[in-house]
Amino acid sequence: MSQDLVVLCAAGMLVTAYLMVGQKALFTAIRLYAIQSVLLGGVALVMGLAGHNAHLLASAALTIGLKGLLIPWFLMRVIDRIGIRREIEPFLNVPSSLLICLGLTVVGYRVSTRLADGAQGAAHHVIGVSLSMLLMGLFLMVTRRKAVTQILALLTVENSVFLVALGATSGMPLIVELGISFDVIVAVLVLGVLVHRIVDRFDSMDVSRLSKLKG
Amino acid sequence: MNLVDSFGLGLLQAAVLLALAPLLRGTIKKLKAAFQNRQGPPLLQGYYDLAKLLGKEPVRSDVSSWVFVAGPRVYFATAVAATTLVPVIVAGAPLEEAGGILVLVGLLALGRFFLAAAALDTGSPFGGMGSSREMAVSALAEPALMLGLFTVALWGGSLNLGDLVRTTAARGLSAHPSDLLAAAALFIVLIAEAGRVPVDNPATHLELTMIHEAMVLEYSGADLALVEWASALKELLFMTVLVNLFLPLGLATGVGAAALAIATGLYLAKLFLLSVGVTLVEVTNAKLRLFRVPELMSASLGLAFLALALRFL
Repeated sequence: MSQDLVVLCAAGMLVTAYLMVGQKALFTAIRLYAIQSVLLGGVALVMGLAGHNAHLLASAALTIGLKGLLIPWFLMRVIDRIGIRREIEPFLNVPSSLLICLGLTVVGYRVSTRLADGAQGAAHHVIGVSLSMLLMGLFLMVTRRKAVTQILALLTVENSVFLVALGATSGMPLIVELGISFDVIVAVLVLGVLVHRIVDRFDSMDVSRLSKLKG
Repeated sequence: MNLVDSFGLGLLQAAVLLALAPLLRGTIKKLKAAFQNRQGPPLLQGYYDLAKLLGKEPVRSDVSSWVFVAGPRVYFATAVAATTLVPVIVAGAPLEEAGGILVLVGLLALGRFFLAAAALDTGSPFGGMGSSREMAVSALAEPALMLGLFTVALWGGSLNLGDLVRTTAARGLSAHPSDLLAAAALFIVLIAEAGRVPVDNPATHLELTMIHEAMVLEYSGADLALVEWASALKELLFMTVLVNLFLPLGLATGVGAAALAIATGLYLAKLFLLSVGVTLVEVTNAKLRLFRVPELMSASLGLAFLALALRFL
């Protein structure tokens, strides 16, 4: 039963990552990220409850509180403050991005079945999902123009790394997780400030403008 | 079960679902109103509307042909016929020997085709626009629907909805990621087929944004009542398929009164939960621009395809 719930949450994370690629509204993307983080917290929670593992429960609470509520709230505030167009303008159109992500998922899953230890059952799905999400996050990072969407892509990658850690081992030591969570918050804060600076300078969040010289 | 019994049960099930369909729409309207701090129309408003429309004489254009008259009737008949193929509270459909997924999708497509043809028949520009849009959306929704249902069929080893529900009920809640992906894909299809907000707005009065409403703009009286009723039935049908294929908890396997009562209660509860989901999507999203709809539908198609692919990985 707990294995089933873990797989279900992981599959939900894959769906949110996929929908993130498939739509263009910035706020919806942030909400999808929030849902994804809550599902990740759900994976940790279920594993913690099943294994009577207190530090997994702590990291579940941390994940839901920080990544599910705080970071999305902060990102929405950043967007509100700088008042940009609330639309993602990707380099690739949506149907071809979706097709590529489909391929990436197949690759991620294929790789996870070939792992040396031969991951079976729930671990197979969890690792497959997280590898696919990792690839999709990297893909999002290179095809999205706006700085905020790149932050979201980075956070997706971070979520997938956390998921693979949960799937492969049964959770990292609490001190490591605290460190990672702290890193993520600092990264988001710094990136938020950076976004402000980019918008100040260029009147746009389009990072492709950073490569042009300005006289 | 002999043939006469099956037909009787099929008729009974169709009648019950027909009676339930306007209530479902009313519930969604009421929920939506509650989310928006409005009072909303009464729960039974759908029945009042249908009664009013059925009592009125339909006005038909002089230049329209038999297609215009046939449109709503075929649409209604196909929706009613489709209900007999779908398991509702018992793990089995009344007329499941008649066909499975392919017949279900085919019947719905036939109804849609007739309604679109009928909308073209009067030569009104809005009707033509509506049918062209409806066809554009359904051309993308239908493959997603087929792929999503095939994902379940692949696991269950049958194309028959009755068989599928029996195998899924025996296995319990599934833990394969592909089921969740297929359910997400079918949920998007449900929103498109029911004409709900990100795709279409059922309450719109602006002709330029209409999809389904533009098609039925020329209909009045009893003809309009048939179209509205069939649309509500179709929405209920999609929701039933979705909850029973992916959440087959509590489907009655016998015919005991207690089992049937529990199954009915659970079925209504599942429907209500799904309605809340649909309402949440409606109140948190703005209607997509028409040219953005294909993007949403391609996401649904992609999810369904992925669901099918994951079965082989």
